Parts: sequence; C-alpha cells; structure tokens
Amino acid sequence: MKKYDVVIIGAGSIGVPASYYLAKKGFKTCVLERLPSEGRGQNRAAIGGIRATFSDPAKIKICQMTIDIISRFQKEHGIDVDWIDGGYLFPVYDTELEDKLKKLLDVQKKFNLNIDWISPAKVDELVPGINRNGLLGGTFSPEDGSASPLKVTGAYLKLARECKAEFYFDEEVTGFEKDGSKITAVITNKDKYSAGIIIDASGAYARDTGKLYGLDIPVDPDCHEAGITEPVQPFFKPMVVDLRMDEQSANYYFYQNKEGQVVFCITPRPQIFGKDTDNTSVFLPLVVKRMLNLYPRLRNLRIRRTWRGLYPMTPDGFPIVGRTKEIGNLFLAVGMCGQGFMLGPGLGKIISELICDNTTDYDFILNQLSLYREFAGTEVLK
Amino acid sequence: MNRIDKHPVLNTTQNRKKVNFKFNGETQSGYENEPVSSALIANGVREFSVHQIEDAPQGIFCANGQCSHCTLIIDGKPLKSCITPLKEGMEIRTLMHLPELPPDDREPENFKPLNLNCDVLVIGGGPSGLTSAIELAKLGFEIILIDDKDKLGGKLLLQTHKFFGSIEDCYAGKRGIEIAALLEKEIRTYSNIKVFTNTSVAALYKDKKAGLFIDYKNYALVDFQGLVISAGAREKNLVFPGNDIPGVYGAGAFQTLVNRDLVKSSDRIFIIGSGNVGLIAAYHALQAGITVVGIADILDDVTGYKVHADKIRRMGVPIYLKHTVLTAEGSGKVERVTIAEVDDSFNPLLEKAKTFEVDTLLIAVGLSSIDEFYNTAVNFGYKAVKTGDADEIAEASSAMFGGRIAGLQLAKILGKDVEIDESWFAKAEILKSKPGKIKSEPVVEINENYTPIMHCYQEIPCNPCISVCPSGSIKLEEALGNIMDLPYYTGEECTRCGMCIAVCPGLAISVAKKTDDKWAEVVLPHEFIPAFGVGEFVTLTDTEGNEIEKSEVIKIQLNKKYKTNLITFRVSLENAAKIAGIRVQDEDKIKPLPIPVFNYIPDNSILCRCERVSVGEIIKFIKENDIKDANQLKQIRVGMGACGSRTCSILLPRIFSAAGVNWYEVTQATKRPLSIEIPMGAIINEESGETA
Repeated sequence: MKKYDVVIIGAGSIGVPASYYLAKKGFKTCVLERLPSEGRGQNRAAIGGIRATFSDPAKIKICQMTIDIISRFQKEHGIDVDWIDGGYLFPVYDTELEDKLKKLLDVQKKFNLNIDWISPAKVDELVPGINRNGLLGGTFSPEDGSASPLKVTGAYLKLARECKAEFYFDEEVTGFEKDGSKITAVITNKDKYSAGIIIDASGAYARDTGKLYGLDIPVDPDCHEAGITEPVQPFFKPMVVDLRMDEQSANYYFYQNKEGQVVFCITPRPQIFGKDTDNTSVFLPLVVKRMLNLYPRLRNLRIRRTWRGLYPMTPDGFPIVGRTKEIGNLFLAVGMCGQGFMLGPGLGKIISELICDNTTDYDFILNQLSLYREFAGTEVLK
Repeated sequence: MNRIDKHPVLNTTQNRKKVNFKFNGETQSGYENEPVSSALIANGVREFSVHQIEDAPQGIFCANGQCSHCTLIIDGKPLKSCITPLKEGMEIRTLMHLPELPPDDREPENFKPLNLNCDVLVIGGGPSGLTSAIELAKLGFEIILIDDKDKLGGKLLLQTHKFFGSIEDCYAGKRGIEIAALLEKEIRTYSNIKVFTNTSVAALYKDKKAGLFIDYKNYALVDFQGLVISAGAREKNLVFPGNDIPGVYGAGAFQTLVNRDLVKSSDRIFIIGSGNVGLIAAYHALQAGITVVGIADILDDVTGYKVHADKIRRMGVPIYLKHTVLTAEGSGKVERVTIAEVDDSFNPLLEKAKTFEVDTLLIAVGLSSIDEFYNTAVNFGYKAVKTGDADEIAEASSAMFGGRIAGLQLAKILGKDVEIDESWFAKAEILKSKPGKIKSEPVVEINENYTPIMHCYQEIPCNPCISVCPSGSIKLEEALGNIMDLPYYTGEECTRCGMCIAVCPGLAISVAKKTDDKWAEVVLPHEFIPAFGVGEFVTLTDTEGNEIEKSEVIKIQLNKKYKTNLITFRVSLENAAKIAGIRVQDEDKIKPLPIPVFNYIPDNSILCRCERVSVGEIIKFIKENDIKDANQLKQIRVGMGACGSRTCSILLPRIFSAAGVNWYEVTQATKRPLSIEIPMGAIINEESGETA
C-alpha cells in the first residue's frame, strides 16, 4: 500500500492541473491513469477553445481563472502553451438567435464579462470573407481565446512532477476498500493506495468509477468529431461558433491556432451516446458543408487529420464538483460536458484551495455544481 | 534541360506536348501533364519551398504524394507539385514559409455527395493489387481498383530492369514496365473492374465505408464487402546531419524521376544501402547517364542479390561495406557527402571518413509495409486481405504471385467456394526467399565449342535462363529442388544463340569459345547504348568487378526482344573463363576528395521532416519529461505534419534508445486519418461531381 495525502483518479484535463496545484501546496499527491500518458483520454481530443462567456456564475468564475492562468502561463512558468487571445465570435443570421443572444448579453454583462453585440461589418473584419448574405451581426468577447491542450497538459505534468507529484500510468483503478463512509484504499491492477482525500477526475468514465465506490454518478459521454487542417498564414482571429442547426448537426465551431492550423468540431444531432472514438464517414461532408457555407474562403484549405472524442455529459450540461455526502473523503470533479480543457486549470486551482486551505470563497460553485442538485436546468450555450 | 534523351531501354521519343509556364516570374518549359515537380527538376530547380523554421530549403523528397516538401504555390494555391500535372501557362512560385490562403470568397453552390458501391475495393494497383483484382474479377465480383498514380503498375512502372523469378509464374526476364503494361491491358478487359487512377484512400471509416480522394479533386464514399490492401510500402529514412537538404531522397523517388518522368535529376549520386533497391537504383542511374560514385552499407556484406551487386561492381561502382553516411552538406542543396567506416558496434570512425562531391544522395535502406489500412480494417472487423509489400517486403515477382493467392483468399472469406492450389503457397514462399548460400565459383574449361558460363553462384529464386535455352542445355542443380537452385550448362549443344545472355536479369552469363592457342572469343551482355565501336578496346572485368584486361570489340549485336546488346570480344585464352562484364565508369570519376571535408553534429539531424524537429531536441524532451508514450512527442510537433509521422515513426526506436528508454516499453503513436490532405472544397465536390 502506497500512502498519499491526495490520490487523483485520471491524468486528464482536470487531474493533471489539480495535481500541480495540490503538490505545490505541499500535499503528497499521486495520479492514477489507465492510459500510458497524460491527457490521452478526451484532453487530446479537445480543440483548445477557452472562454469565460457563459451564463452561470460557476463556469464564469472557473474559466476566468483559467484565462488568467493560461494568458500568463509563459510569463510565469516559461512554457509556451500557444495562448491566443482571439476572442469568441457567435455570428448571427436569424432574428430569433439575435434576440436570444442579446438577452443573454444582459446577464453576461452583470457578471462583468467583456462581451458585446457587433455589426456585420465588424464581424467581417474579424473573419474576413465570412458569408455576409443575411448576416445580422454577432456577439464577440475579445478576452476569450485558445491554447494547445497538448501543451497545457504536458506543461502541468512537468510542473507537477517538479513539485513531487507522482504519476502512475498504465494503471487502472479496479476497486475501492471502504470503512463506513470512508475510502481506505484505492485498488488498481498493480497496487493499492491510501489517501486522506481521493479526487475522482475520471472524465468520460466517471459512471464506471462511481460504480466501483458505490455511487450513481450521472455522467454519460456522447461523441463529437473534430479535425485539423494544414497550417497557413493567419487569416482570421476568433473562435467562430455557429449555433444554427440542421437535420444532422447542432452547433459547430472552429478557430486558427498559433501554428496556423484551423481546428474544427461539430455536435451531431441527435447526440450519439457511447464511448466509441472511431472515425465515421458522416463527419467530414457534414461539417465541411456547413463551414464552407459560413466561410467560403476555407475551400482551398486542406484537411490534415480527424479524430473523435467524448463529451462527458451530465443531464443538465453542468459539471459535478464537490465532496460527496456518502463518502467523506471523496471529491468529485467530473462531467465537464466537453469543457474539461477550459475548466481544468481554474478548477484545479480551486480544488487545491478547497482541499488545502478549506476556503469558503467557492461555496457558490459547490452549490451550483453539487451532485445533489436537481439536474433540471439546461445550459444555454453548451 | 536536364532530360534523358537517350536510354538503352526506355523510349525517350514519346510524343509529349511542350508547354510553357512561369516559375518565380521566369518562363520555363516542360511537358503537358508531367508532374510540376519533374518539370522544375528538368529546369534545374532544386529548392521548392522554404520552411518557416530556420528558413530551411526543401526539395523533392518522396515524389509520391505522401510528404509535402514539394509544395509550391501553383496558380495561387498551395499544392503538392509531385501530384499536380503541368499545364500551359501555369504560374508557379516557391513557397516561402506558410502559404497564404487565397481570398476566394464565392459562395459555394454545389454540394454533390459522390457515393460508390462495390463488392471488393482494391487499394493499390501495383503487382499484387492487379493480380488479385484479376482473380476476383474472374469470379464475378464487382471491383473498384484504385491507385494513387496516373498509370497502373505501382513500382513496376519504375522497374526498367529484367525480372528475376520464373517465366511461367511471374514473367521473369521481362522488365517491370512491360509487365505493368500487360497487367493493365488484362485488367481493362474486365468490365467488372472499375479503375480509378490518381486516387488515394483518405480513410477507412467505422461505418464500413472508405473515403476516396479521386483525381486529387473529388471526394467519394465507397461501400464495399471486402478489401484487398495492396498499398505497397514506403521507403525507410535515415538520421544523419544534412538528411533534410534538397538532394537527399529515396531510391524510389529517384527512379520515379528518372525512369517514369525521364528527368535527369542528377549528375553524380551516392547511394546508402546495398539491398536490391539500392543496387538497382545504381544500375538505373548508370543507364540514364548518371555517375554513381559509390554505394555504402553499414553491414559487412551486400544485403541484396550477389548477382546485382556483382553487376554493379563490374560496371565500375565501388561498394563500401562497413561504412555509414556521416553527413550530407552543401549550400541549399547537396554538394558533398561524407561516409566513414564503422567499428564492430556500428559507430563511425571519423578518422576513416571519405568525402565525395555529388549532387544527390539516395537513401535505399529498406522499405516498410504500408500496414495502417490493414490494421484499421482488422480493428473494424472488415473482411480484408493484405498482399504484396503491404503484407511483406519482397520482390515484385513474389507480389504478383501472392496477389493471386490473396484474391482467392478474399473470395473464400466472402463466401465463394474456391479451391486454392496447395502448391501455390510453396511457390509463393520460394519467390519471397531471401538470397541463400553463396557457392564457390565453378572452374570452366574453354574449348572449341561455345560454352555458357554462369557468373551466378548465390541461390536466388530465378530461372529464366533454363526456360529460354532452345536446346534445353541449361538446367538447375537439384540441391533444393526448386528455382533457388543454381543453373549449370549440361555441356552440349550451345549454338551461341545468345538467349541466355540476353534474358539473364543479373547479366551474369557469358559465352566463350577458344579460337586458337592464345585467343578466345567471349560474348557479354551490355544493357547500354554502346559507347564504343568494333575495333576499339574496352576494359573487361571478372565476376566481382576486378579489371582483367582491355580487349578488342569484334562484334555488336542487339537482341531486340530483351533490348540487350551482345558484345563479342577477342580476349586472351587464359582470361576467357574469368571475364564476366564490361566496365562503364572511369575510376577517376569516383574518387573521394584528397582530404575529407565535413562538420559532424549528429544531434542536428532532422527526425520529423514536416515540422523540422531535430534528434537533439527530441532526445532532450524524452529525457526531461520521462517520455514513455510516443504520442507525447506531439507536444514538440513530432508527427503533427502532413505525413502524420508516416516517414519518421520508424526511426523512433533508435531515438528512444539514444535517450536511454527501452523502445519495448514505449507506447506507439496513434495514426489517425486522413492519410492524404484534402481541400475542404473537394470534400463537398464543389468543382465537379462528374468523375464518378
């Protein structure tokens, strides 16, 4: 049996940053990961967008912290994680969506978010050559941006190891030993671990992990496919999110990363639940048709690679964060609903403050993201 | 113009239409529909693009549509020039760093999904793909056969030399290019085989469809019941300082330029690797009028067939065994190559370096199967077979035979009641054989009768000499009982018809006759346009290339069927049995510089060519971050380029081991689709949907 202050299950978008912040505060921390290296679950499938422009206090706060951390990452740690403050643009072609987004603006402004309605001309300036036919304008939040999930998670791994956090890769959690309302050991296929607190950051596999410690964790992944193009000279700045739907798909979004490559992803409609991450023939024609309609200039851009990843969805589209009533030393950080990458750094820092400093500053987050909520609402901008 | 305008085997007077184009503003000319890259090389261009990292010049590398080093700005668009056909009036520019996306803002009008259907999709129209398609077509299957080149035949199209093997099973004695034409003709007679050339598989999808990039213009989804994976192989690369400069490329790329496109890509080449590919490339270079300064191999013996190596040596190409390449150097292109002897642990001995002035360095260190399609197919549970080099690296002769078996095997899997002749499997194994034992050179008595002498005493799967002898006087020994056995002359009835001399792929048969007490006559094969006439004296060598004497040419005859000259010499009787070949290259052209000139910094070698990541950077990253998963190298861009690590992944074991990590503990990088980059406009068939 190996002994730690904190055992984290999952070396992904949440687990790796959390391990760094915990280890930095002096907690003896280890991370158990069934895959061979960090971020090999859904983190590697994230396209890299980071925004704080949500409509609920918890995600706004967490992602504001993430933006604060990632935008200063190179300065603070000397590691370039490809941060670009390109902003998020939601172009609008119908009045219904215009009304919906404008109403949301009022809420977002109350949270002091830097977001506003912009004219078609301004949209065209941000995305030169965007389809102006029927374009009514859009919302733009200049302080949002993007970074490389690969580099961010790789950097956190390095920093965490420098703070003596330990990582056990290729090691799968197979069970738990409990004594009353406390987990006394995490059992893996190789060893046993005990810790004062166990953080479940098992992402798309949270429901399976939950079964092992005896709780029903309502996380069911659905699949999304993504792609990346060849690199070209920078030609547009923001993350472009088209919220419209057609018969086969809901929203899709794309941006040009620091390497000059356009990265894109689409949400299938209806959702495809399951854990299959094999490529399908449906994706490319579907997403390309819609992207070219919105932005014809992309036509000569060559697609280089595609992949499929999972959104660990909860019933209401919000994450599950906090301690459980049933098991005193279990902390949940699961169900990020496809936003694990942008939530991870901020949430990691918050978790470390909650666990190490017993702060009450984030009670509003814990209340909103509690496992014991109704799961009745829905996220407006998933 | 660097064109090949005379060639002993290839037809250089093809009726091709001349067109003019502009390169960086200057008017140049080329042939219509030849690859843009070949037209530029013919015009002396070596630098195609400038990488955004270190402003590194990039030249042709794979000549095969796989990498993106030959990308140019063609009529405003960034395109791979090796798969872009040249047209009149094209505006072509060097690509500086990243391309600019042309501001083409027309609203797209056409969304034309292309859907195709077949029983069997054959991926790759090389020797094995063609023969398996034929077998399947005979059984009535509806077939779609795709190939990424404009003509069928795969590597056969580059093979201007005569084939080993046997005449009845695999066209031995014929040239690859001739076999390709025969197979293509046969394929075209089947109405149930639909052929798509210039077509690549972009991906195999989970929902049992393949995505095809047709004509490098359109995208189609194909439904299929079964797959034949005959996608061939890719050339292995090597890690050494300067491995990235223009003028370093694979033997396959070289053969593409020289044999397919008739471009004289080089004046002086050096070759690394003494396998059959390197040896044949040397031969092709000589036939194209290119000087082959040498061949180096790190092993202490030639890895290809001995007959090939001997042939090359006889022509005057030195083979440096136990030598490795140290550096390729030059300003913007290869100007010098330095090799060095290695010690028993294969470490180079810098004090034993030799520098040669060459303009091209060919890498011929082996092939690796293109196995990703098969692996995906198995993973998805498809009915699939693999054949040819995609299955196992071997000669094309074996691929043709193996393809037939694979076709029948797939038919069986798809439920057809077919029998496969048991003896085929044994034959297939023999054709795949590595070269066997080397026996001692037999001593032959020269008398007043013509006597064929076999300068062939290593067991290889080859027997056309016995098939062509009209009197049946050449037989195989019965040591192994198959075509690996060595040929011998039974001692009777040679009429000096010359068929065995002309057919032998190794040019390893001479015919000799005593003319008087001092002199003899020897007939030798010569697959060159003779640079000498009757009455002139020419240097002749023994089997392994040692100079024997200068002898007078007394007769030159061309065997038209095998496009091989039979040259008769008057030689001294005592040397007649030893004489085996004609020196074609002067010794003074292939000497190293008097003092080696090189700057050897191994860490500077480029591993990931697409993203220009050096060996030093990777080793440092592996050590600093305790890397055990090759996917983690993507953080420093390894494998993120156009080729998707298809070029460099094979080199990773060495790099991990240099960083102190056991490769067997390393998780290999995931290979993802697409296997070829496709413009978004092509995915929805904006331009046209008519091809299919």
